[in-house]
Amino acid sequence: MHIPDSFMPITQGAVYWIIALIFIALALRWVKNELSEEKVPLVAVLAAGVFALQAFNLPVTMGTSGHLVGGALVAIVLGSPFAAIFVLSLVLIVQGVLFGDGGITVMGANIINMGVIGGFVGYYGYHGLLSVTRNIYASAACAAWLACIIPALAASVELALAGTFPLVPGMISMGIYHAVIGLIEGGITAVVLGLISSARPDILESAGGIPA
Amino acid sequence: MIEDLFELERLAYGTSPIHRLDARVKLLVTFGAIIALVAYPVHSSIYHVSLIFALLLGLLLAISRVPLRSFIKRVLVILPFGLSILLFQLLFPPVAFPTTTVLADLPFGLTLTAEALSKASMIGVRFVLCIGFIVLLSSTTRIQDLLVGARRLGFPSEFTLILGMMTRYLFVFGQLFLRVRNALSTRCFDPFDRSLPYRYRIRQLGNTIGMVFIRSYEQGERTYMAMLCRGYGKDAFLFVPKKPLARSEWGALLACMVVVIGCPLAIHALSV
Repeated sequence: MHIPDSFMPITQGAVYWIIALIFIALALRWVKNELSEEKVPLVAVLAAGVFALQAFNLPVTMGTSGHLVGGALVAIVLGSPFAAIFVLSLVLIVQGVLFGDGGITVMGANIINMGVIGGFVGYYGYHGLLSVTRNIYASAACAAWLACIIPALAASVELALAGTFPLVPGMISMGIYHAVIGLIEGGITAVVLGLISSARPDILESAGGIPA
Repeated sequence: MIEDLFELERLAYGTSPIHRLDARVKLLVTFGAIIALVAYPVHSSIYHVSLIFALLLGLLLAISRVPLRSFIKRVLVILPFGLSILLFQLLFPPVAFPTTTVLADLPFGLTLTAEALSKASMIGVRFVLCIGFIVLLSSTTRIQDLLVGARRLGFPSEFTLILGMMTRYLFVFGQLFLRVRNALSTRCFDPFDRSLPYRYRIRQLGNTIGMVFIRSYEQGERTYMAMLCRGYGKDAFLFVPKKPLARSEWGALLACMVVVIGCPLAIHALSV
């Protein structure tokens, strides 16, 4: 889902960059104000961990492999969509500048897709479903699935606007591919949440993510 | 990508003139080149621009003495997603071209047209060159130097401070990832092993990933506490002493910028 350079006109890339910068500023303000004291270092170190966690290859059926994006997981555990924006922006900047995975001129679009859309969909999807189903793991899995497929659809719409990707076939293929990967992402997110709630329940409580 | 991380840092400790060049010059030239390439209109003269940029990249690569093998390997790793977009571009031309020449009829009612092919190849050339410039930047510059350079270029201090903390721990978690992977394989656990039940594999992987998550959270807590003990607070910032560019560095910057900005403008003016 990392859109590379040269697939989007530079003017559109600039527009996405501006929107992304606004959200990064909001996320920075969230880390300073909402987390108790100045916990910026904590979230920064956590971002390095999310980078490593994305390196695990997950088995997807039919012989393909995928990897976790983790936006929904971070948003649910730390209890705010802005946490996901903050962490994923850092990860995407490192991936883009050091590895070339995701372009420089389109990094704004990537931050919007995976950080902003993924974080908001993951967080509010989780809380919405939780209030209906009262089941933490099922709603976390569904929210993570949504946070995988909706950013992929957003990316295909952006590429279609940029004129480099056909809209309907693109959305179908990106949607199906990420719907399958999203199932794994959902399963893993639920398992991780279960592990955290048994090993370090205070992380979830302190951030106000899950009502005990 | 994690394996590349360690290779990257090893490469970045080279001693060639490109490695010794100030990070500011390298950052400006790399971003300038990428922006110039992306901003150039999709027109057949883009091949001339690309040729000049490829020559510049080749020249810088030769001076930097980065092994060609690792350079190509790192470029190839990034290509698949872009190539799959290009494939779609070929099969379903999104913009209705005024005239189309059908080159080949493919099954499922798809057609390959000359216009789509030429557009896809133009985008493809640009795409590979952009990745080449980024890979050259990161294999000739240490991460810490990149951050100091970005700070000297005027990036906000808050931002470089956070990125600096993150990149320092990238290596810690990179090693953790490698250890965990070895531990899994010494216990003969392979997530792609079809003889194991799928639920079991997902549960094991989930627990492993959750463990990495908890460990990074705890590392964050320890780091944060340690920083508080050393006087970290609301007004902390990354102090970077000023350092003017040497005359030779100005020269290198100007020469590269003339190529990066001047050539596309000149070619565009000549060809339109």
